[in-house]
Amino acid sequence: MQVTLGCLRNAYNMVLQKFGEKLYSGLVTTMTSHLRQISQSIESAQGEIFLEELNRKWVEHNKALLMIRDILMYMDRTFVPSSRKTPVHELGLNLWRDVVIHSNKTQSRLLDTLIDLVLKERNGEVINRGLMRNLIKMLMDLGLSVYQNDFEKHFIEVSKDFYCCESQKFIESCNCGDYLKKAERRLNEEMERVSHYLDPSSESKIIKVVETEMIENHMHTLVHMENSGLVSMFVDDKYEDLERIYNLFRRVPSGLTIVKDVMTSFIRDTGKQLIMDPERLKDPVDFVQRLLDLKDKYDKAITLAFNNDKTFQNALNSAFEYFINLNARSPEFISLFVDDKLRRGLKGVGEEDVEIVLDKVMMLFRYLQEKDMFEKYYKQHLAKRLLSGKTVSDEAERSLIVKLKTECGYQFTSKLEGMFTDMKTSYDMMQGFLACHGAELGDSPTLSVQVLTTGSWPTQSSPQCNLPSEILGVCEKFRSYYLGAHSGRRLSWQANMGNADLKATFGKGQKHELNVSTYQMCVLMLFNNADRLSCKEIEQATAIPMPDLKRCLQSLALVKGKNVLRKEPMSKDIAEDDAFFFNDKFTSKLFKVKIGTVVAQRESEPENIETRQRVEEDRKPQIEAAIVRVMKSRKILEHNNIIAEVTKQLQARFLPNPVVIKKRIESLIEREFLERDKVDRKMYRYLA
Amino acid sequence: MHKLGRGHRDKLQQFVTITGASEKVAMQALKASDWNLEGAFDYFYSQPQLRTFTDSRHLEELYNRYKDKYIDMIFADGITLLCNDIQVDPQDIVMLVLSWHMKAGTMCEFSKKEFTEGLQSLGIDSLEKFREKIPSMRSELKDEQKFREIYNFAFGWAKEKGQKSLALDTAIGMWQLLFAEKQWPLVDHWCQFLQARHNKAISRDTWSQLLEFAKTVSSNLSDYDAEGAWPYLIDEFVDYLKENGVNQHGQINDSSLN
Repeated sequence: MQVTLGCLRNAYNMVLQKFGEKLYSGLVTTMTSHLRQISQSIESAQGEIFLEELNRKWVEHNKALLMIRDILMYMDRTFVPSSRKTPVHELGLNLWRDVVIHSNKTQSRLLDTLIDLVLKERNGEVINRGLMRNLIKMLMDLGLSVYQNDFEKHFIEVSKDFYCCESQKFIESCNCGDYLKKAERRLNEEMERVSHYLDPSSESKIIKVVETEMIENHMHTLVHMENSGLVSMFVDDKYEDLERIYNLFRRVPSGLTIVKDVMTSFIRDTGKQLIMDPERLKDPVDFVQRLLDLKDKYDKAITLAFNNDKTFQNALNSAFEYFINLNARSPEFISLFVDDKLRRGLKGVGEEDVEIVLDKVMMLFRYLQEKDMFEKYYKQHLAKRLLSGKTVSDEAERSLIVKLKTECGYQFTSKLEGMFTDMKTSYDMMQGFLACHGAELGDSPTLSVQVLTTGSWPTQSSPQCNLPSEILGVCEKFRSYYLGAHSGRRLSWQANMGNADLKATFGKGQKHELNVSTYQMCVLMLFNNADRLSCKEIEQATAIPMPDLKRCLQSLALVKGKNVLRKEPMSKDIAEDDAFFFNDKFTSKLFKVKIGTVVAQRESEPENIETRQRVEEDRKPQIEAAIVRVMKSRKILEHNNIIAEVTKQLQARFLPNPVVIKKRIESLIEREFLERDKVDRKMYRYLA
Repeated sequence: MHKLGRGHRDKLQQFVTITGASEKVAMQALKASDWNLEGAFDYFYSQPQLRTFTDSRHLEELYNRYKDKYIDMIFADGITLLCNDIQVDPQDIVMLVLSWHMKAGTMCEFSKKEFTEGLQSLGIDSLEKFREKIPSMRSELKDEQKFREIYNFAFGWAKEKGQKSLALDTAIGMWQLLFAEKQWPLVDHWCQFLQARHNKAISRDTWSQLLEFAKTVSSNLSDYDAEGAWPYLIDEFVDYLKENGVNQHGQINDSSLN
């Protein structure tokens, strides 16, 4: 249409002279019939021409609308509002919508064509994206509801079916990793599609479709897929796959929960197997190392693939806490692991790396429920390390004590620190002794004494032993020196904890230096004055308790490469009448032969039972103290509440057994600290 | 004694003769009614506790009959004689009830105070009254509240002086005696269990809680609450019963235990 000033003025005049209605309705009629023609021409377009024709006509229509709006601007501003008619531009769009787009044939054909193109593109074909974009924009221009009803609704439906089928096909033919790669690819594809030619409001909808159909509906199948599911990803350290599964599953409700749950139960099972495997339990150090390796493995997975997700960290921790405590010997083993590291494992290791190992040990320690058991073993093993002088680094020892103190408080470590102090004090004392008496000692055996404060060191029954006469003299000198400096104290020799270096000459003149325990020394020295001694005779001479003596004789006579004594008969067991001889034929490649047995080792079953009994005994007063503390502040409390409160108070050290708590309560009733309430027998009252 | 005028002494005498009350009670009643005999009778009969009157002289005689030759206490011999006199077996549970009334400290002995005050509170001052009182003492065991008091009293009474706990054998004997009255079906199992598994003395708490257990938990243990704050010995007893398959009627299926 040619726009001329004339048109404008005509239009202006018409409105002015109150012919607005006529003008408006004329517009409607004209435009409608014009659009009908256009509609027909579009309908008759064949094949691919259809969309192009539609697009072309749309572009023209828009141009025309702009012109018409300009021409009829006066009417638009005056007549239209006052008579509440649709503004011209909007009218033009509405007519386009009603006459062209919603014509019977065109409406469905447009939708089908657009959907068809999308599907083609999904199948890998290249389509005319520009054209798509224009037509989609046209629908948006016609109104959001037009876009949604005429296109988007159906697009989403069709996509649902499409992805439903595709996911089914893939699930049956792909392994988990590949499937996830495909799902990821589709997600990216759809996002890209939206950005190129759909309206942004559709993005979240189509993404949800893909997430639901491809991920959510197959979560369980994927995770549990044999040989390729979550478990095998963990087993084979497939970090990329794990990261993918994390990123995809976090998009859907409960997705991560499933991943976390499968991970947790797998770790629990793996851990449980490890804990219960009798082969593994024969070597405590190796056992603990495996635990640490297991933890490292999952820490790495969580860092690299799971974005350090705290829920997963917590799940890992709780799984470890669960299975570590299934084995009652875990506290002992962890202490043995530490012992091994501090005795030799950390030799030559740099300070930072030492800290790393110790921190890992602390992490395991935190998982332990029975921390008081650990304390008992740790003390025993530390004592042995200190007394045999076999600790790799004093710094490392102290560093660990500091960590334990931070974790558990001063009381946990005060005795341990006492042990270190004793060592230092003893050293100083020895220096003083040698300075004072060094000259007189001359030819006597060289003595080194550690003075242990009772109470700081693990209690042992005071062992009997007759020390060889050769050393009695120098021992007495030390005793009087010490008591001279500290009157009012009592010293008793702990013969089961010392060691000695003996120079021995054998049959053919071969000389060796034997590093032995004090007990072993007592036994061996007897053979300076006798060729043959029976077990009983040795017992009488040394006064060593029989069980310890038997162990001692075994280590001297029955261990290959260390048999400085010979036994008749050659049986494995020691009977009281067995005879022992100095083994002239002893040989060893080494000059220094270690036969001492004062090294920390895994307890035998009976020893283990005994230690446990001692710990259980120690717990009783702690439980009672906790009960009294609770009752003192609450005055009157119901039975189950007492159990809960006491458990809470003690859980940093151990998990008290409710039956034991009950027995302690009854004992306290007996001793009149508590009484039962007269009315409600389940309530207890504190008696001041 | 106060100096009474002749008239008062007569009234006193009359009062005592008619009511059979002790002089002390007669004095109390007459004084309360201002020496009006009728009023004194009203007073007397409206105060039930005064009716259990005893003559302290008779009581003294009774005590002397049973007390030990050298020590001012009644011991086993005296008790045997007493039982003979009142025609009651020394093992009869009514002796426990009697001891309870006397607030006796330990079994097999009564102090003078325990004996006389006990009998006084029962209104006994002669063997005849004693014998008459036996049935009513027995019936006291049927009263829930009194039974509980007697049961709990029995612990302190049966245990050794100076001990905190009750020896097992004594406890078992007492339980069998007491629960014969109370009819607790599990009493034999309980005693068997203790001999098999516990073999130590019984604490006061366990003793008193057992009665509650017998009263509130049915013998098939269907309403036993493991969280019920029962003493651990009772928890162990329940486990023992379950191990041995106690059925509905409190009978053990395992024939080896019969």
